[in-house]
Amino acid sequence: MMRHLLSRLGQAVVVMIVMSFVIYGLMGLMPGDPIDVMIATNPNLTAADAERLRALHGLDQPLLERYWNWLSAVAGGDLGYSRLFGRPVLEVMAAPLGNTALLMSLSLLMALAVALPLGAAAALRPNSIFDRLVNLLAFAGISMPVFWLALMLIIVFAVMLGVLPAGGVQTVGGGDLVDRARHLVLPVATLSAASIGQYVRHMRAAMIETLRNDYIRTARAKGAGWVRVVTRHALRNALIPVVTILALDVGTLFSGALITETVFAYPGMGKLIFDSIMGSDFNLALTALLLATGLTLLGNLLADAAYVWLDPRTARR
Amino acid sequence: MPSIRRRTLWVALLLGLFVAAADRPAAAQAKDQLVIGITQFPSTFHPAIDAMMAKSFILAMTARPVTAYDKDWNLVCMLCVTLPTIENGLAVPETLPDGRTGVAITYTLHPQATWGDGTPVTSRDAVFTWEVGRHPQGGLTNVETFQRILSIDVKDDKTFTLHVDRLTFDYNAFALSLLPAHLEREAFANPAEYKNRTTYDAATTNPGLYFGPYRITEVARGSHVVLEANPTWYGEKPHFPRIVVRTIENTAALEANLLSGSIDYIAGELGLSLDQALAFERRHRDRFEVVFKPGLVYEHIDLNLANPVLADRRVRQALLYGIDREAMSQQLFDGRQPVAHSNVNPLDWVHAEDLPKYPHDRAKAAALLDEAGWRPGVGGLRRNAKGEPLSLELMTTAGNRSRELVQQVLQSQWRALGIDVRIRNEPARVFFGETVTKRKYSAMAMFAWISSPESVPRTTLHSSQIPTAENNWSGQNTTGFSDPRMDEIIDRIEIELDRAKRKELWRRLQHLYADELPVLPLYFRADAYILPRWLKGVEPTGHQFPTTLWVERWRAER
Amino acid sequence: MKRGSPLAAALRRFRRNRWAVASLIALAVIAAAAAAAPLIEAMLGIDPEAVDLLARNAPPSVAHPLGTDELGRDVLARLLRGGQISLAVGLATAVIAAVIGTIIGLLAGYYGGPLDALLMRLTDGVIALPLLPLLIVLAAVDPSKLGLAPEVLQSPLAGVGRIVVIIALIGWTTVARLVRAATLAVRSREFVRAAVAVGAGPARIMLRHILPNVASPIIVATTLSVGNIILLESALSFLGLGVQPPLPSWGNMLTGALELIWSAPALAVWPGALIFLTVLAFNFLGDGLQDALDPKAETMQVRA
Repeated sequence: MMRHLLSRLGQAVVVMIVMSFVIYGLMGLMPGDPIDVMIATNPNLTAADAERLRALHGLDQPLLERYWNWLSAVAGGDLGYSRLFGRPVLEVMAAPLGNTALLMSLSLLMALAVALPLGAAAALRPNSIFDRLVNLLAFAGISMPVFWLALMLIIVFAVMLGVLPAGGVQTVGGGDLVDRARHLVLPVATLSAASIGQYVRHMRAAMIETLRNDYIRTARAKGAGWVRVVTRHALRNALIPVVTILALDVGTLFSGALITETVFAYPGMGKLIFDSIMGSDFNLALTALLLATGLTLLGNLLADAAYVWLDPRTARR
Repeated sequence: MPSIRRRTLWVALLLGLFVAAADRPAAAQAKDQLVIGITQFPSTFHPAIDAMMAKSFILAMTARPVTAYDKDWNLVCMLCVTLPTIENGLAVPETLPDGRTGVAITYTLHPQATWGDGTPVTSRDAVFTWEVGRHPQGGLTNVETFQRILSIDVKDDKTFTLHVDRLTFDYNAFALSLLPAHLEREAFANPAEYKNRTTYDAATTNPGLYFGPYRITEVARGSHVVLEANPTWYGEKPHFPRIVVRTIENTAALEANLLSGSIDYIAGELGLSLDQALAFERRHRDRFEVVFKPGLVYEHIDLNLANPVLADRRVRQALLYGIDREAMSQQLFDGRQPVAHSNVNPLDWVHAEDLPKYPHDRAKAAALLDEAGWRPGVGGLRRNAKGEPLSLELMTTAGNRSRELVQQVLQSQWRALGIDVRIRNEPARVFFGETVTKRKYSAMAMFAWISSPESVPRTTLHSSQIPTAENNWSGQNTTGFSDPRMDEIIDRIEIELDRAKRKELWRRLQHLYADELPVLPLYFRADAYILPRWLKGVEPTGHQFPTTLWVERWRAER
Repeated sequence: MKRGSPLAAALRRFRRNRWAVASLIALAVIAAAAAAAPLIEAMLGIDPEAVDLLARNAPPSVAHPLGTDELGRDVLARLLRGGQISLAVGLATAVIAAVIGTIIGLLAGYYGGPLDALLMRLTDGVIALPLLPLLIVLAAVDPSKLGLAPEVLQSPLAGVGRIVVIIALIGWTTVARLVRAATLAVRSREFVRAAVAVGAGPARIMLRHILPNVASPIIVATTLSVGNIILLESALSFLGLGVQPPLPSWGNMLTGALELIWSAPALAVWPGALIFLTVLAFNFLGDGLQDALDPKAETMQVRA
């Protein structure tokens, strides 16, 4: 078991290195380096200026060499400076990372808090009116374009009703806890709408599946009460597949939600990654993307381990 | 598991309570602060690394260039005391060792100009700025401007003389911002590392970086910048103790923020598209005043003259006759964006009134195309003698709605003439970084130039400025326009000090431009400033110098 | 291969799911209307590309049943043309992704061992990458640097093809995992062993014996992903990287309309409603298919 996990961990590291190469290569394939963009916007830039700036930013070396330099630096613990912001990568990432982690984890918690009970309840009476309603709502949640939903929420709650702020992290200057929470309501609602749908579907399906199992019937036959059967046996088992899916969402906690962040002017990782890619900020983009990738892989690994632990039958697969 | 669920429910409940407890933000609170909404956040705060509108907009409140163009497009002193001219003796032409004519210009900085930490702004700062600027590894975008300065003589703490290697008509313009030597010298100890060490980014809220009416006191990257009145400011005391600049990139959300009261004012420099602003004005006239200022943003279509079809001047003229720019301006932009007849704005004093104009004239366009050998063929599409269809590609920046709209109108109007126009758009970074700069567009590229008043179009029209692989793709003559007459006029304008003679040269330049049409002029873009009725004193400039250079005059009035 | 009764049973189960049947009908109507766009335009005498600056944002009329857009073009005609693009992108991408996923899943599941490990780590890697940023990088990659002919790249549909390829390159992972799991389960069954015993080659076994038995999860996952892809296209449009004008797609129509949400809200209603209904219908359809084809199937992992 331990050896299996260690080998998977090793594989994950290899995957990360391969992914870093792929991302680096793809960014290198993007046309126009930052200096080209500068030339296009600044009429007074001369040929010599362009050459000088390229050399200064290390853009005059071949891509492979740059990748190798980057990799060796990272291996030595130096993530480098962000080209766009002229600050160390970690310093640039700190605030957005915090914002994103807060926003995404609240959204996920919110989604689970709503979806798990709903999904489980719907599964108890499949095809009842309640079940169909839950189904419809779940599907509706995953069928809306995010940017549309976000803007509608702003229009209704910020402009028409005026009860919630339209965007930002907090009121500039004075931001107590209540104020921060109010700024989170709409983005959290936007983000959880889609994930509620997902989790309701998964929870419901898993629950129906579990309730069909023999041991549930056995437990019932032995005279255990319905409530007890559901809470003690079924729920626990139905959560196993949900946990696997949850593990896949771990990465998104730190990669952010570009569109929601953009519409709500919420400075998070999604926007930062987008800007860094568009600005050919290799150091920043790679660190941020690989952080998300690594966490997802780790989440996967933990989910696998948990799966094996919760359900020993899968161990021999 | 149950414990987790209980906690999440608790969070949900809490969030619900906050919603219930929330009051509507008071729309009419006391105006001790002004919240401005813009659509971009500056990546660096260093005045001379990277040119970005958001940065100039914010920094103009915290520091002043030595000179600037005011709202009437006159060159004025901002940090200096008297504008040096040859007439007042502060600028003296001199002969350089190599025989060329240079100029010695003497500036005196404002006597009370003081950095926010109490250190006076002195000639030393000017010398230091020049040292950083001309250093090849300093990382500043524009070394050439600094390299024109051969030496600086410091007369006293506030007075210094620049020796410049050429005498141009705009010799006394010195639009640079000074860097605080007392803070930056250490960061510059290793010039190659300067861009990562500069105090502007390492400690943006250091008061010593700023001497303007405001200084930056808080930066939340990607979200907002807080500015507070600077006690060492030597000019008129600003009316708002605090200014907050918030960045909201999505313009629909920006508008929603204005309506919900979380921002007060949308700046025209980086605000709503004209389309949105026009719609906004119709609905909210009562609460907001929308000021449209057409300016030096010149929307045009670059024609790739290396394309054999476009190398024929008659085709270029036919293209311009074939489109109804006047109707577009009226219908799409409510007449707020004047049609351009050349690269010079009618508000510029060198604008020529007697230019040939190209009014919408389909018959004339058709005749020109016939003459050029493009005759109507099957399906209305024009073909040449070899049977090749007249097909041109029109490119622009993807996601710029205003341009996309115009583009589709143009396509439809040209199609009516029998010209097949294909639209292919690219994200801005690809379009500018590769396609335009490296002249990779096959026929037409639509974009805009932003310039200052009486800006000589050397980089865009002089034949030495055609980007090629050999010159590292520098220069902005992306049409590949090469005409000795144009080269000569440009060379002469730059050094002609006599206004009347210069105006005549400008007239010839514009005529040549309008006759040859290396570029199809479209219109001069108007910026829309969405001001609350109580905000007074904001005066749009219409050029690259932002309104915030005069922010101390902004005030709240009922 | 077993025919007849299981299929009939599936059909019976499907018919009982009213939501799924209604969705199928709705999708058929939308698809038929989009396909018939040229006919409908001819009937109403509309040119979908004709710009009319004097009739911008006109309200519905006899000539323009849903009014006109910000350039005076007929909204109905553009919705239908946009439907063609959006549906084509959704379907084409889903099918390509399914093909890639099936091949990878079959290979991994059938051969197992190091190849399985390699392919599954590749899948992990792709799943772990944040989707949108990767799409953005891919959307900005210069295809001419990959050696594609410029003529191909300049056709108006090249942009659409690019989006299809980009999303498919990332979207195959769900199918790959499902197929692998199903292949693992089928591999040790008697009929596969029998085929091996009579000397059938691996390709033949995978295609003739395994593929038909793993078809249900593929069909279900593909159906469910069509909706996701239509949503993704609209998200890309929002970022300015989707289908480019003048080609309409529901995504770029909705994005354009949102800028004018205050002055012309009706423009946003139609594309928004069509995206919502279509995606909803694909989800219900996938759900119904799942119940019908594989009543005991495990839960699907379809992620946006």
